[in-house]
Amino acid sequence: MSVAEKPLYYLTIHEAQQLIRERKLSPVALTQAVLDRIAAVDGKLHAYINLMADSAMASARVAEAEIAKGNWRGAMHGIPFAVKDQLDVEGAPARVRQFTKGVGDATPVRKLREAGAVLMGKLHMSSMPGAELPLPRNPWNTDHITGGSSTGSGAAVSGGMCLGSLGEDTAGSIRNPSAYCGIAGLKATYGRVSRHGLAPLAWSLDHCGPMARSVEDLAHMLNALAGYDGKDPTSSEQPVVDYTTALREDVKGMVIGVPRDYIDECAPRTDPIVLRRVDEAIEQLKALGARIEVIKVPTLHLATIANAVIYYNEFWAANRNAAASVLATGAAQRRARIYLGLLTNSADYIQAQRIRSRCRAELAQVFEKVDCLALPNQNGPAPRVDEVGPIDTLFKHVVPEFHGPFNLTGLPTLSVPCGFSETNLPIALQIVGKPFDEVTVLRAGYSYQQQMKWYERRPTI
Amino acid sequence: MDKLIEASLKAVLAREGLQPKAGDLEQFSEIIELYAGNLKQLHSVDLGSEELGPVFRPEWK
Repeated sequence: MSVAEKPLYYLTIHEAQQLIRERKLSPVALTQAVLDRIAAVDGKLHAYINLMADSAMASARVAEAEIAKGNWRGAMHGIPFAVKDQLDVEGAPARVRQFTKGVGDATPVRKLREAGAVLMGKLHMSSMPGAELPLPRNPWNTDHITGGSSTGSGAAVSGGMCLGSLGEDTAGSIRNPSAYCGIAGLKATYGRVSRHGLAPLAWSLDHCGPMARSVEDLAHMLNALAGYDGKDPTSSEQPVVDYTTALREDVKGMVIGVPRDYIDECAPRTDPIVLRRVDEAIEQLKALGARIEVIKVPTLHLATIANAVIYYNEFWAANRNAAASVLATGAAQRRARIYLGLLTNSADYIQAQRIRSRCRAELAQVFEKVDCLALPNQNGPAPRVDEVGPIDTLFKHVVPEFHGPFNLTGLPTLSVPCGFSETNLPIALQIVGKPFDEVTVLRAGYSYQQQMKWYERRPTI
Repeated sequence: MDKLIEASLKAVLAREGLQPKAGDLEQFSEIIELYAGNLKQLHSVDLGSEELGPVFRPEWK
C-alpha cells in the first residue's frame, strides 16, 4: 500500500515525518486522525487508561506553528506517541507506584516531548493496581492477549492508536507484546535509555525502549531517547550515534550467530510454527548475504532462572516498605513476586550475579566471531484471553526461554516481525547485538524487514 | 505445597512481620515449587572461586 493510500493513523513514523517536514501533513490533522481512531477502536482494544486528548491537540498546534515558521525539530516533531503507565508523566504518575511519588515527566517522556512529539496519553500495563481495568486485546484477533507487561503499548501501535510508544522490559516486556502484536520493539543496551521516572520492577534489569511499526521508526525514536542522564545512576556516557545510519538494506558479510543448542533446549516449550518461521527468517538473512554460524553459550541455560532470581529479589527490596499493602491489595503477579523474592537467600542472589558475569564473558567471546545473534522471540503465537491465568507469565520466567538472558546481560535486542501463524497471529525474530551496538541490530532488522515487508500488513479490527 | 518450602516461606514472612493473603500459598504453590526447584539448578554449575558477581569499585566516577 502506498503512503497516499494509507489512513493517516497507519502511517509509520518514517512516512509521517517526511510528510510533516515537507509540510504536506499537519500535526494537528495527524493527531486528530489518531484521536478519531482511538474513539473508533479502543472500546475493543482497551489500550489507553488515561487519554490526554486536550493536551495532545494543544501540543500538535504548537508543533504545527513551529514547523510553519521553519523550526522543524527533527523526525519526532508532531508525531503522536503514548507511554506505558510504568513511566511517570507530569500530573499522571505511574499507577504502579502505589506508595511512592512520581518525578514529573520521566526522562524518556521529556526527551520525546523536547523532540516535539505529541503525547496522546498513558497505556495499560499488566499487574498494575486497578483490577477493574479491562485487559487489552490483540488487534490481530481480539480473542487473544497482547502480551505484556507493555500490554497497551503493543495494542496501541498495532491498532493505529499512536505511531510509536514507550515500553519497559525486565524479562521480555517490550519484545513479547511487540511479537504478539506484529510490531517492532527495541530493548536497547542497559544504560542507553534513561530509567529516571520509570517505576522500578528490578533496578538492574529494567530497560525502557521504543515500540513502533517499523525498524526505521525505532531508529528515529532512539535518536530522541538515547543519551546520558545524570538522574539515572546506571545511565551510560557511551557516545550516541545517529541510529538512522543503520537503515541500509545490506547484511552482506555480516556474521549472524545462531545459538542452536539453546533454541533446542527451549524447543519443547515452543510452538513449532515459531521455530519454523524463525528458521525461514534466518535463511532469508543468509540469502541476503549474511553468513550464519552456529554458536554455543554454555551457561545460557541458567540465564533465565538467574534473571528471575535477580528480578524477584530486587522487586522484593524495592517494595519491602510497602509489602504488607502489596500482599493485601496488589495484583496476583505482584504478590507472587514478593513471595518468590522472600524465598531466595543472599547466596542465591550472589550466585545469580555470578552466572550473570559468566554469561557476559561467554557472550563476549562469541561476539568476537559474530556481529549479532538471531533466535526466536516467543514461545508461541499470542494465546487466547480465556487460556491465560493471572501468573502464567511467571512460569515463563523461571525456565529457559528467549527473553530473560538478554535482560541479564543487558545486550541490545530487537523484535522484528517474521511472519504469521496458520491462525494469522504475528511471529517475530529476535536479533541481539554487542553492548551499545544498536546500529548493527537495527541494520540486520531493517535489511530483513525491507525484504519481507511484514510490517506493511495491518490488522482488521 | 512441599512442607519444607511452605515452612521456610511462612518463617521468612513472619520474620518480616507479613501475612500472606488468604489462599495465596495454595494458589501459588505450583510456581513456588517450580521456582524453588530451579534455584537448586542455579547452584549446579561450578563457577570457581575467582569469579565474583557484583564487583565493588572504589572510584567515584
